[in-house]
Amino acid sequence: MKSFVKSYVDMKRESFKYNLAKAKRMKICYLFLLPYAVLFTTFFILPICTSIYYSFTQYNILEKPEFIGFQNYINLVLQDEVFLTSVKNTLVIAVITGPVGYIMSFLFAWFINELPKWIRAIAVVVFYAPSIAGNVFFIFSIIFRGDVYGYLNSFLVEFGLVDTPILWLTDPNYMLTVIIIVILWMSMGTGFLSFVAGLQGVDRAMYEAGYVDGIKNRWQELWFITLPSMKPMLLFGAVMSITSAFNVCDVPRALAGYPSTDYAARTIVTHLFDYGFSRFEMGYASAIATVLFLVMILCNKAIQSMLRKVGS
Amino acid sequence: MDNKNIPVKPAKKTRGDMLHERMVLLGEIKEEKKFDRKKFLLTALIILAVAVAAILVLQYRLNIIDYYESIVYAEDAGAIETATTGEAAPLSTVSEATAGEAVSAGGVSKPQDYDFGPFYRAGKLALIVFAAGFAFYAIIRLIAPKRRKPNRSVWGDFGIYFMLLCVAIMMVFPLVFSVGASLKPLDELFRFPPTVFPRQPTMDNFSDLFVTLSQSFVPFSRYLVNTVFLTFIGTFGHVFIASMAAFVLAKYDFPGGKTFFSIVVTALMFSGYVTGIPNYVIMSKLRMIDTYWAIILPAFAAPIGLFLMKQFMEGLPTSLIEAAHLDGAGEMRIFWSIVMPNVKPAWLTIIIFSVQSLWNTNASTVIYSEAKKTLVYALQQIQAGGIARTGQAAAVTVIVMLVPITIFILSQSRILETMASSGLKD
Repeated sequence: MKSFVKSYVDMKRESFKYNLAKAKRMKICYLFLLPYAVLFTTFFILPICTSIYYSFTQYNILEKPEFIGFQNYINLVLQDEVFLTSVKNTLVIAVITGPVGYIMSFLFAWFINELPKWIRAIAVVVFYAPSIAGNVFFIFSIIFRGDVYGYLNSFLVEFGLVDTPILWLTDPNYMLTVIIIVILWMSMGTGFLSFVAGLQGVDRAMYEAGYVDGIKNRWQELWFITLPSMKPMLLFGAVMSITSAFNVCDVPRALAGYPSTDYAARTIVTHLFDYGFSRFEMGYASAIATVLFLVMILCNKAIQSMLRKVGS
Repeated sequence: MDNKNIPVKPAKKTRGDMLHERMVLLGEIKEEKKFDRKKFLLTALIILAVAVAAILVLQYRLNIIDYYESIVYAEDAGAIETATTGEAAPLSTVSEATAGEAVSAGGVSKPQDYDFGPFYRAGKLALIVFAAGFAFYAIIRLIAPKRRKPNRSVWGDFGIYFMLLCVAIMMVFPLVFSVGASLKPLDELFRFPPTVFPRQPTMDNFSDLFVTLSQSFVPFSRYLVNTVFLTFIGTFGHVFIASMAAFVLAKYDFPGGKTFFSIVVTALMFSGYVTGIPNYVIMSKLRMIDTYWAIILPAFAAPIGLFLMKQFMEGLPTSLIEAAHLDGAGEMRIFWSIVMPNVKPAWLTIIIFSVQSLWNTNASTVIYSEAKKTLVYALQQIQAGGIARTGQAAAVTVIVMLVPITIFILSQSRILETMASSGLKD
């Protein structure tokens, strides 16, 4: 046993020495990386680390952070009912908009792939525009307005489907549905572009080979040829759709109000926003952020291991 | 004499053709009928013409029915009116005239198919749906790629493209609606039932917006200059710094490089809100709150730019760089005069992503002085002005929306070229 440990340590030491020598030889590489690395560490890594540190403290910016152990997490789970609501809402939104948005992005990228070039260009703009159009989702507050002047309500009343206008954005029963629809509308973002570009790059010879080997219809072609050669894009798209599925904040705040009726549209990020920027309980807000990090990283790992099995 | 038995050399066939024939012979695929464009167009036009004619005929019958129905309603209403008021004689000349006409028209020549009204209506709807669907099918058939892949069914194409069309309409509707709203005069904005397209389009909302902006506490041009400055500096620095890092990460194998890149990929997932609080604390420690640095420096380090750049640079041939090395070029020179000119699509793409995100920052958490605020922030303040500013808010939405979409349309092909290499390898 001892010898094993010793040889392991020796091996590690050797490889460390080797790497160090290599690093010395490639000093210039680190020089190139340095500016980006410094900025990235300051604004992306350090915040995550400090966020984890603050989550164990009580901190309100004015006073010094006071270490309180796991108290924030305990409060989060045991005392904060609104947090549990927000977790539920976030999971509902993420479980629906994540996969649906992802599959939708891929399917539409795939559908438009065989169109003539100019139609494809128009289609890409049409599907991608909602996600870059800034805060155009404000327009949904007119479409889903609670009185008869709202577009949907006036339509429903006109056709006699409902007697009284439905309070889409104030009734807890409908709020989440509306938000999910709006997020799905915006869900064809960078991942969609990546799919469109990736589909263009799939080798045509593969399709011909598949045709010879007896692939009968487009679905078989999709599963056996297209998807396996798209794997890298699928992984990238998954990262992007996890991001958009969990970081839901602007849409519920703009549409359902902040805070919303019965907290029915509260998500983890709006909860964090509330504690961080309205109540200045930074420690507590950091605990929320840490929980969100963990959930997102776990989700990412799970999806990546799932996607490796595609087409095999 | 023997010449007859010698087979004639067949016309040259490609291997694909021979394969196709063999598969047809073996019954593995059906022989496709040759698609005759002209014939198809003619048939389609005839069918559509018949359908439109049928719709028009039905509409004509329906008009007659509507006319009689309206008369009957008028008659009923008149009867009720006389019954309630308790007067036998007609009240006014107008009601007398309509009542008389109704009696004469309804009594004498009431059409027999009066009861078929609902059927006509349903028929008309079905015909319209059919005509629209058929027209769509014909268009697909005509613009579809000339060499169709053999394993595609036409009906599958039809279904898919029809769905695509429906979803595309749903996606575009809110955008069209917001453009329409910005062109409506105030009375149309609150019309019931609401309309999508303005009946009397005006540019009043936009001119009102500029009036409001010109009266603001800080001159409008200041907001514009702020945003342009931030966008310009942020994007320039981002492209330079991220490309430098991407170059070494993509082309050199040095200890720590892979780990660093995987951390960057993880950081793609975190939005600004999640890191917002500690970021604020860090910036306040660095005394960057309420300066432009608070926006510019994080923009320099945006993970998406490094990611796309690195993936694109991996496609560059390593031999190019090695050759430059042999010729005695230093790293900086290789980077600047060999790598950078060859990754033009990538840096255009990250310029566009960076411009989009910087253009849309309102940065309200880190910038407090009014004079340093961004254009989007000012516009959002106008938007928050309530009912009285509804028209201007619609104009703001359109202005904010148009900039990124226009940039994207202009640079679409470059962006797609870069995104082709965006995949994540294990």
